[in-house]
Amino acid sequence: MNYKKTFRFYLALWLAKLSSFALKILKRNATYFPGKVALSICPDFMGRLDKPKTIIGVTGTNGKTTTCNMINDILSQNGFDFINNKYGSNIDGGIATTLISGSTITGKAKKDLAVLELDERSSNKIFPYVTPTYLVCTNLFRDSLMRNAHTEFISNILNKYIPKETIMIENADDIICSHIAEGNKKIYFSIDRLETDTEECRNIIRDGKLCPKCLTPIKYEYVRYHHIGKAYCPNCDYKCPKPDYHITNLDLKNMQMTLKFKDGEEVYDIINDNIINIYNMLAAIVVLKQLKLTQKQINDSFGKLKIVETRYTEESYKNYKIVTQLSKGMNPIACSMAFNYTRNEKGNKAVIVVLDDIHEEAKGMENTSWHYDTDYELLNDESIKQIILPGPRYMDSYIRCLMADIPREKMVHKKDIIEATSELKLDGIDKIFILHDLYAIEQAKQIKQKVKEIIDEYENK
Amino acid sequence: MKIEILYPEFCDINSDMGNVRYLKKCLPEAEFIETSINDVPAFIGEEEISLVYMGTLSEHSQEIVIQKLKPYKEKIEEAIEKNQLFLFTGNSVEVLGKYIEDEERKIEALGIFDVYAKRDMLHRHNSYFLGKYEDIAILGYKSQFTMLYGDNSNGYFATVDLGIGINEKSKLEGIRKNNFLATYIIGPILILNPLFTKKLLSLMGVKEPKLAFEEEVLESYNIKLKKFKTFTNFEK
Repeated sequence: MNYKKTFRFYLALWLAKLSSFALKILKRNATYFPGKVALSICPDFMGRLDKPKTIIGVTGTNGKTTTCNMINDILSQNGFDFINNKYGSNIDGGIATTLISGSTITGKAKKDLAVLELDERSSNKIFPYVTPTYLVCTNLFRDSLMRNAHTEFISNILNKYIPKETIMIENADDIICSHIAEGNKKIYFSIDRLETDTEECRNIIRDGKLCPKCLTPIKYEYVRYHHIGKAYCPNCDYKCPKPDYHITNLDLKNMQMTLKFKDGEEVYDIINDNIINIYNMLAAIVVLKQLKLTQKQINDSFGKLKIVETRYTEESYKNYKIVTQLSKGMNPIACSMAFNYTRNEKGNKAVIVVLDDIHEEAKGMENTSWHYDTDYELLNDESIKQIILPGPRYMDSYIRCLMADIPREKMVHKKDIIEATSELKLDGIDKIFILHDLYAIEQAKQIKQKVKEIIDEYENK
Repeated sequence: MKIEILYPEFCDINSDMGNVRYLKKCLPEAEFIETSINDVPAFIGEEEISLVYMGTLSEHSQEIVIQKLKPYKEKIEEAIEKNQLFLFTGNSVEVLGKYIEDEERKIEALGIFDVYAKRDMLHRHNSYFLGKYEDIAILGYKSQFTMLYGDNSNGYFATVDLGIGINEKSKLEGIRKNNFLATYIIGPILILNPLFTKKLLSLMGVKEPKLAFEEEVLESYNIKLKKFKTFTNFEK
């Protein structure tokens, strides 16, 4: 649709810019409100605003923020001048705010490039007005059932609203994500079979169990986790696509990976050994290669990156390693992957799980059902010597752990986070994992401080 | 004792399979039959089934299930009349209603119950639920795109103290006819409601039912009940 700049558009733009200026003077975040102002005055504002010539969008259930952060940091380090929503919201108001910040007073785009993290649930409010040149879809899993319902619902929204002109960059190992926007031009990425892959799914949930074409149960050459792997329908042609870019040699010992593509092979250093972050790196590399960055440019920049502290930290404290890891509440896959990472880490571990999703209650609703889609069974492992379950969800998590056959004597469950953490036992422990929700970062910091105090006391005995 | 799970490949989208896993803990000796979408339900045949369970479906899956169950409409009606015990959670009851309205489309369902559903895919309803099944306090969560319409005053699952019934104006939740029980509450309702679960086990023929982790689930139930009651006061 050909949108024109009307008086209402200019009014929306100027008031948005004014509100952004005022918020900055007041030292408040101007990452959502200005865009919201513009959209409330002119609902199709984003359609009327001039946009950068090249727009990179990143959507999907998990890994959007990390992938975007990687792309943003590498582009910045290589001198690219672009706009992004790194510090802003990924829904319509946030996207509008970012575009406004990158526009002149007459609504012209100041930059030629934008990198936008896009909430998949908000596609209906963004894609009618913003056409990404490339759109990465990292994966599609079940997320908050209150907001995102189920993968079929999210797939339907994406299929309905993604513009036909957009070139999709999709995860070929995800049979749901790789079939989004079927008519569009596509670039697929994949990680070849790994030693840790299995014949059967070991997780308690797996979406896309039946072929959508013929209702035959989907089979797998191998399963990595949940529905990620090499899937195919034994009765028709529905299957995971052949990748354009794939990792052929994932060498976690030397923290390197080999990327194979039509024109050659390249080796990259790995910045984090979590498979989720390796997928995120892969998605970022594929995007950056479309922007003609060289292997050297990308890899040199990777060497300077680390996963942001709200998502993952590790600190050696006296004789112990303390790890904090985001386990996004309401998101059973993210939590299961965090549990799996914890389980697979070497050494004996104590795990403090503070999945405090109770912030939803403040919005008038909560739903604890997702705990039963989350693989607490992964915490039932010989190497995990103690599990501490603090916070308002202590009973929900405790019962879920009982359902996972975790022995009662291994667990501490108490509402008060400090009181619960006080019961940490360090005998024979090498590592302490604090798995926390995005909204429990402050609690995680308090827990970490308490853990250090306990270590101090223990070491001074 | 045999428990049949209808279409687990479809009906696990809202953590409803937590109920099945809990039943397995409560009844370790029971046989669980998982009926796939291309199979004939066991309760349709001659098998004696103590409980038939079906969980929440996606909208597309509802249409597939309607087509698969249509040939068995009379058998299902007969089973309900003969007091076969069913527990349907989430939107699964809609496949047994008259039809489902989806914008311009009207999807004919089995027509066993004189109710119909309306979808609104732009608005997801989320709410707490507190009510009573007979004299047992039932609590839980609802998350749904549909509302059910029709008169369920002669056959409802629970009265409502907090939240909504079959639609936003209704104070009667779910459908009940003989031993057919259906509620829009999603997720692990049996873990959240130990007193109801004991009642269900009794209906299945378990004498002096004992729950898995009974002490802990009762403690959790009482904490939640207290909390939900404060919301009831707030709503009033």
